[in-house]
Amino acid sequence: MELTRAKIRDLRKALDAKEIGAAELCKEYLKQIEEKDGRLLSYITVTKEKALSDAENAQKIIDAGKASALTGIPLAVKDNICIDGVRTTCASRMLENFIPPYNATVIEKLNEQGYVLLGRASMDEFAMGGSTQTSAFAKTKNPYDLERVPGGSSGGSAAVVAASLAPAALGSDTGGSIRQPSSFCGVTGIKPTYGRVSRYGLVAFASSLDQIGPICNDARDCAIMLNAICGYDRHDATSAKVDTPDFTEKLGQPIKGMKIALPKEFYEGVDDNVRACVTDAAKELEKQGAVLVECSMPGLKYAIPAYYLIACAEAASNLSRFDGIKYGFRGEGRTYEELIRDSRSKGFGEEVKRRILLGNYALSSGYYDAYYKKALALKQEIIKEYNDIFEQADVILTPTAPTPAYKIGAQDNDPVKMYQADICTVTVNIAKLPGISTTCGYTADGGLPIGMSIIGKRFDEATVLQVADAFEQGFVPVSPKL
Amino acid sequence: MSQYYPTMGLEIHAELLTNSKVFCTCSAEFGGEPNSRCCPVCSGLPGTLPVLNQKAVEYIIKAGYVMNCDISRFTKWDRKNYFYPDLPKAYQISQMPRPVCLSGHVDVNVNGEDKVIRINRIHLEEDAGKLVHDDVNRISLADYNRCGIPLIEIVTEPDFHSADEVIAFFEKIKLLLQYAGICDCKMEQGSIRCDVNISIAPKGSNELGTRTELKNLNSLKAIARAIEAEIERQEELLDNGERVIQQTRRFNEQTGETVAMRSKEDAHDYRYFPDPDIPPILFTEEELDAIRESIPELPEQRVRRYVEEFSIKKADADIIVGDKRICDFFDAAIAEYNNPKAVANYIIVELMRRINLGEADMDALKFGGKEFAQLVEFMQNDKVSQANAKTILREMIENGGDPKSIADRDDLWIKEDSGALAAVVDEIIANNPKAVEQYKSGDQKVFGFFMGQANKALKGAASPKAIQDYIRKKLSE
Amino acid sequence: MAIELKTIEHLCELSKLNYDEAGLQKVMGEMGDIIGLMDEIKSFDLTYDDTKDGNEIRFGDTREDVAEESFPAEKLLSNAENTDGCYVVPKVVE
Repeated sequence: MELTRAKIRDLRKALDAKEIGAAELCKEYLKQIEEKDGRLLSYITVTKEKALSDAENAQKIIDAGKASALTGIPLAVKDNICIDGVRTTCASRMLENFIPPYNATVIEKLNEQGYVLLGRASMDEFAMGGSTQTSAFAKTKNPYDLERVPGGSSGGSAAVVAASLAPAALGSDTGGSIRQPSSFCGVTGIKPTYGRVSRYGLVAFASSLDQIGPICNDARDCAIMLNAICGYDRHDATSAKVDTPDFTEKLGQPIKGMKIALPKEFYEGVDDNVRACVTDAAKELEKQGAVLVECSMPGLKYAIPAYYLIACAEAASNLSRFDGIKYGFRGEGRTYEELIRDSRSKGFGEEVKRRILLGNYALSSGYYDAYYKKALALKQEIIKEYNDIFEQADVILTPTAPTPAYKIGAQDNDPVKMYQADICTVTVNIAKLPGISTTCGYTADGGLPIGMSIIGKRFDEATVLQVADAFEQGFVPVSPKL
Repeated sequence: MSQYYPTMGLEIHAELLTNSKVFCTCSAEFGGEPNSRCCPVCSGLPGTLPVLNQKAVEYIIKAGYVMNCDISRFTKWDRKNYFYPDLPKAYQISQMPRPVCLSGHVDVNVNGEDKVIRINRIHLEEDAGKLVHDDVNRISLADYNRCGIPLIEIVTEPDFHSADEVIAFFEKIKLLLQYAGICDCKMEQGSIRCDVNISIAPKGSNELGTRTELKNLNSLKAIARAIEAEIERQEELLDNGERVIQQTRRFNEQTGETVAMRSKEDAHDYRYFPDPDIPPILFTEEELDAIRESIPELPEQRVRRYVEEFSIKKADADIIVGDKRICDFFDAAIAEYNNPKAVANYIIVELMRRINLGEADMDALKFGGKEFAQLVEFMQNDKVSQANAKTILREMIENGGDPKSIADRDDLWIKEDSGALAAVVDEIIANNPKAVEQYKSGDQKVFGFFMGQANKALKGAASPKAIQDYIRKKLSE
Repeated sequence: MAIELKTIEHLCELSKLNYDEAGLQKVMGEMGDIIGLMDEIKSFDLTYDDTKDGNEIRFGDTREDVAEESFPAEKLLSNAENTDGCYVVPKVVE
């Protein structure tokens, strides 16, 4: 069977029609992984045995005529989502041998459907980074150019989909970690509204910003994945008690008359290639009948510090539990104090440590008001500015990242540059909005994918998917050659 | 006479009587095999999230009402960050700027004098686990069963100036929490704990001295002794021209001294910030009213009711209400036998005497208020003599059982037929002609002699009244 | 922006992280740059009102107080050094 850019819904048809068995499909993906992942390094762990037993179980469901959308569909799961009995490393030495004794809620939901776990996708350590180069185990490369980064932090998840080493993957997004790698790897990824998907079992980076979401070949597959993973969860007090619609509902509906806002600040300071590409995409949507609306978001210039202060403050606290006692890397020391210092100093990588230091700086006595509290004020301002834009528009269109995928090593030793590259995505997390990134073109010289983001009102993923899909229907993606 | 004036404030921690823990569904019961009442949430596993227990919030609101606090209509939770091996997440979920309860007050009576203690705030937080130290192997063993048990922290204003005031207030708080059904207040199990902030200043001075904090005080006696010891220590320091250092100290029960705890220097920058995992809560007036109305009868109301409805003496009512276990026992007893005065009297005179002697234990009583009431009723109706009632009660304390079976088994009833009585009294009168003579010549005192002899011989088989009547009848023949 | 040695040392203490001399110098430089970036927020002139976050829930939407079965201790302890059902901690200096 042809796996290149195979869609979930096509695989579903093939499985239901018995054109292929679940085990056979799983083995084909495992074969692809074996052949190609040595160069790509997108998986930290390939769960071959579990995949085959999952597939066997799935086949029984299919044979019984009880298949749902994801029964027998092989998936990759970012390595920060806990799976009972399956090593979950967060791409950190700290959790190199950590085997969770419980399942994340999203995993429970996928299990109910009989999905097949291919393996654990690489990522930046504890989801901190935009290149997957802070991974302690698999510094994933971009499938379009092995000398370039796949983006991050869900770089492994985006790369496996782009390289057809899984038809879809779960990622997580705290400040762009699903959308930016989707952009760099030429695939489609959606960060749902905060509260739409349970965070229970997602190893926390920044709790008020984290959200799990799918990375797929297109918006339609994203809708199928969202249908499977969304919903209120009694284990997550921040998950929303709202109805979960059928996210495929609006797909294919014309976007005629839809108002699409283009906040000018998002287009300033981005790469020319990127600006041109996204602007062209806007014109394409206009051709389909959408109305483009000029607008502004003045608060954007403070977005990077606001985001990093909030995210790192929460991270510093969230990562305090890693002390070498209960789980994770256990260092040496005669006393408790010595042991935890040694464990943390050796278990965490440099970027994680910097963010912990920054977070503690922002929260420490004497600095709290000037930094952390200010960041919270800014959060309120950004929410207000988004609300103002949504008074006059249905969705917002922006570039997903200021540049296409950059060379591995280009941002090493320059955390400030690395942080600034998140400018297009972080406000969506701050404002708890849904945002999707889909490919809108390729660079003329290197053929590197360029992504655009469609941002919607809270809990309006359906419209976001509708617009992305409307664009995708007239767009021919180019697959990487590996 | 000391030239210093002590000032104290309290931080009281009380564990709430919920079924489940405050942020997960594990049982909130005391004890258990190590780590047997734990789950991924309270053990701090990565990826887990806290989900707030409604009952815990309800209980702190009740505590607020009971202590006359303002209840915030908007409340939220914060993380208090510090590393310690009994705290698996390395932060304690607590409340900083927006606690549930603010500015209340509690009236106390200290050695007959009324005093008002102001409450600064009450907030809800989670308890930490327990460490057992193994000095031989130089390790500690961590048990997280207690992690996540809901805790309220009651913070008073510095309104105390003597150990007596502290004890009176603490006892009052215990009673209030017990009667409101919020906390069982078992100090020995640590379900209520008290930290004392204490400073001294020269008498007449308007400024407070440097304070120390006394921690780990696990009995009323320890609180009182620790306060006395710490005041003395601070006085000595000042007398010698030295300074009091702000620090945390614990009380050594063996030596009777307070000792500084070597706390780490960074321990004071807790980096509180709002917990992003727990949404703030809004209350409606209806919700708060419903909670307020569900508060059970409080001690003062109870005393008033006992005095007014049952005509029990105020002092007796105070004694009974002063111990919730006794009060519950009393209520159960009068439900069986509606003679509150007699029941109250026998509880105070006999049952509490046995408890004070260490013969009985209210926490391990082998019989209930119902059985006790039956005994009182037998006594009141002249079915069992007072002496035999004591015997029966002793048997109930030792081996349990109901008074009827015991009286049946050991033949302790007053006999209805007067045959035995007549025989015994007739014999006594026959054997003591001199005494009879004395009585007849007007010496009434000798009547007691006959009563005593008869009682002794009859061993409770006849009621005192029957004996009295019969002796009187015989002597006047 | 430069950051003082004693500040970085305090942050390491709060964070429970050790650096060797070279590592400390390096991270001091990096943190100086990062805090310089964060300082941009200081020119933003608005105050935070914690009652206006709009993320509250109703009291009635909190969890009902029902105890459920706990987790097998051996599963919880499976990633830890343990003995007698407890986590093993080096002696805490008090």
